[in-house]
Amino acid sequence: MSNKWLNKISSFFVSLKSQPMEIVLFLCASFSIIILFLMLFFVAREGAVAFSRFGSDLLFGMRWNLETNLFGGFPLLYGSIMVTFGALLIAIPIGVCTAIFVSEVLPFYLRDPIKSIIELLASIPSVIYGFIGLLLVVPFISSVFGLVSGQTALTASLILSLMTIPTIVSVSGEIISAVPKEYKEASLGLGATKWETIKTVVLPISKSGILASIMLGFGRAIGETIAVSMVAGNQAHTPSSYLEAVYTIPSFIATHMGESAVGSLEYSALFGLGLILLIITFIVNTLADIVVKRGVQHG
Amino acid sequence: MGSQTKERIFFFALGVPVVICLLAFFWIAATLFTGVGTLNLEFLTTSALQGGAFEMIVGTIYLFLGAAAIAGPIGVFAAIYLVEYAPSGKFTRIIDQAINNLAGVPSIIIGLFGYTFFSRQLGFGISLMAGWLTLALMILPIVIRGSEEAIRIVPTSFKQAALALGATKWKSISLTTLIAAAPGIVTSVILGIARVAGETAAILFTSCVIITRGLPASPLEPVMALSFNMYVQIVARGEPPENVFGIALILFFIVVIFSLVAIILRVYYRRKQPWLH
Amino acid sequence: MKSKVKELVRKSNKGISTMLALIGMIALLVIGLGIGYVLNSGTTGTSAEFPEDSEWRTGAINLAGSTTVLPVADEAAKAFMNKYTSATVTVQGGGSGTGYASAIDGTVEIGMASRGPKQTEIDAGTLWLHPLALDAVCVVVNPSVGSNVELTLEEVAMIFAGEYTNWNEVDGSLPDAEIYVVVRESGSGTRGTFEEYTIDEYELEIDSTIVHEQPSNPAVRTAVTNTDYSIGYVGFGFLTNDMVAVSLAAEAGDDYVPATLENIANGSYPISRLLYFVTSSPTESGSLADRFISFVLSEEGQAIVEDEGFLRLPASNNYP
Repeated sequence: MSNKWLNKISSFFVSLKSQPMEIVLFLCASFSIIILFLMLFFVAREGAVAFSRFGSDLLFGMRWNLETNLFGGFPLLYGSIMVTFGALLIAIPIGVCTAIFVSEVLPFYLRDPIKSIIELLASIPSVIYGFIGLLLVVPFISSVFGLVSGQTALTASLILSLMTIPTIVSVSGEIISAVPKEYKEASLGLGATKWETIKTVVLPISKSGILASIMLGFGRAIGETIAVSMVAGNQAHTPSSYLEAVYTIPSFIATHMGESAVGSLEYSALFGLGLILLIITFIVNTLADIVVKRGVQHG
Repeated sequence: MGSQTKERIFFFALGVPVVICLLAFFWIAATLFTGVGTLNLEFLTTSALQGGAFEMIVGTIYLFLGAAAIAGPIGVFAAIYLVEYAPSGKFTRIIDQAINNLAGVPSIIIGLFGYTFFSRQLGFGISLMAGWLTLALMILPIVIRGSEEAIRIVPTSFKQAALALGATKWKSISLTTLIAAAPGIVTSVILGIARVAGETAAILFTSCVIITRGLPASPLEPVMALSFNMYVQIVARGEPPENVFGIALILFFIVVIFSLVAIILRVYYRRKQPWLH
Repeated sequence: MKSKVKELVRKSNKGISTMLALIGMIALLVIGLGIGYVLNSGTTGTSAEFPEDSEWRTGAINLAGSTTVLPVADEAAKAFMNKYTSATVTVQGGGSGTGYASAIDGTVEIGMASRGPKQTEIDAGTLWLHPLALDAVCVVVNPSVGSNVELTLEEVAMIFAGEYTNWNEVDGSLPDAEIYVVVRESGSGTRGTFEEYTIDEYELEIDSTIVHEQPSNPAVRTAVTNTDYSIGYVGFGFLTNDMVAVSLAAEAGDDYVPATLENIANGSYPISRLLYFVTSSPTESGSLADRFISFVLSEEGQAIVEDEGFLRLPASNNYP
């Protein structure tokens, strides 16, 4: 067994050596892996001190207090989940419906323009979303619900949903468009209406792709920093309603990194939170990949 | 015809979310345009020392141009490897996975990594260079994916013609496939630029300052950027959003223009490439 | 075969020239902006406020630290650079903690701090504090609480720690209503100063699950102005007529001191602080750092200090 492996590896490198350019190309391709490892290593290294001090309390402890050197991040995790859940609640129905509509219902000449507008929506920078949120949504929420400040979990969810919808639409749209024409034509030929075709043929085939798009949307939403930090109110607690302010993990890191002294316990704790976020997004992205691959196999 | 009207109702219901998306975009654009009054040539060309936005605009341009210059070649080479050279197997799948994962890393984590690795470990400090390297990490997956696609659709007959004439594999690819895929590759670079031009979290700790004289004289100096300044003014200085309207508008324009150029190029070259028909 | 390949390469080359044109246009844009910049930054002559020793005029210094001092440093840096057109003053944010740390380890020439140094910071290296402005942290309440509210520091501490939850409990003459507590984010120099005189003094603790955090002085002001029965704290420069500034007594039995300019300047108002520039060594006379600090202490600099909502340093500086 191991001989076969050794043979494979050595022949691989022999073939590389024969063309120096291939080595360059190979290195460039491996760059992503190298960077990911470096990222994991360095973020973990900086967070190590905090983890050894607090262990799982870093994520599940209830209080984060600079003065008493107590770093518990549970309110932040709670805030992140609240805001992400709220955003997905809005973004999934809108995103999936839009993807179906654009890929199946819209006449050909409209498809590209509408897709382009949605792409433009995706490319708007986070800080501009936050700006618009502060300018328009925050006062709106505060007047509609009669609050002191419109910076709430609801506001953050609304803005975040706008940012997540394009992800869901583009990935789902691609999957739905990839359903082979023959399947649809067969269904229509058998007398089914377009809607029935969508329901019984297109959607089941695209199911895993749509699921993957939702997971990617989740990853996008949970990692969003800037826009959320501008509209969520930034209070680290576990509120009982969406009309209160929350703090998410990435926003917290962004606002507190500046003031923490390098090498201090707080600095390490922030990196620890970052590591947790990194691992969550790794898992979500890898799962999404697996879901798509499994779907392709079954479809 | 009952089922036909039923169908019409379904489609109409499906269309509502789409309309919401479109409305959202136009609403955002319209709101930003109400601030057009604050924009004039003076604002764009006056130094920040006198309340203008000049260094921030040029700083943003410096940042994304440098990052694209770094990520572009690496991304294109990686794409060539993946399409033309990579043996189908576990390792290639892992590389593929890694690229997808890199694309999904939250920008704040990229910023944290950039700070601890480029700024501190490699000693670049808070500088243009650290910003370039950090932003390049965000452009890279976009360039790889786009270039992969562009290279894949070039018919293999192109490079085979060169191979048949006796060229080495690399020569054949670089002279034929690569050139044919060039429009698609450039489009993906432009898309990558659009992505990072407005990026804040990644440059928050790695390359920006609030005020300094002029533009950085070397890549080892810090830089002022539109997104950073806007964010700091709102969050750290507590200024009401109205005061940063001008900066927001410029940033929006830059990003939208780059995105539009990418979209237009993609449509244009889809029509122009004869081998697609 | 060859000709076909050549033809295809030629056709795609046309595409490349469009690319080059696009890149060329962007390059022209950047060059144009560059030319515009050079034309714009015509030297307007330096005013000879300082003697002609010229070395510092082309130097560069970095500042980092407190976000409270940041607006002052930002505006002062702009004014300074406009006056002395070859000097470079670079300002970053961070927090008072970063200000001390970067000054100590030398990453910046001048740190900014809105609080005095902690023991750990004093132990970490030599520090030289240069006060640049006076600030008082004023306890404020919503007018619904009363028009002339008087509290001792201990009572304030107990309110913020959650020991009192109803205004009635603090004083029978105050309304029977739940207290809505507003604080700044942890790491805020303003919060640090406030807690030093109240919470820490009486060894209590802020209950972060019942207080409401706001990220800046204007934000606290808005919250207190708009919320009935609320209490908070802001820098003196942020007081408005829409809130009631509480008169404070350092201890029970002392006089209650209202928050006026006079009382702050003469030291009778209990919660006041200085804003500092921090350096790790006495600034070399004539150096750029020295010139900049002198600028901020000058009439022009102190006017900027007031513009940003602080108080200028009193003539006789008898503070610790």
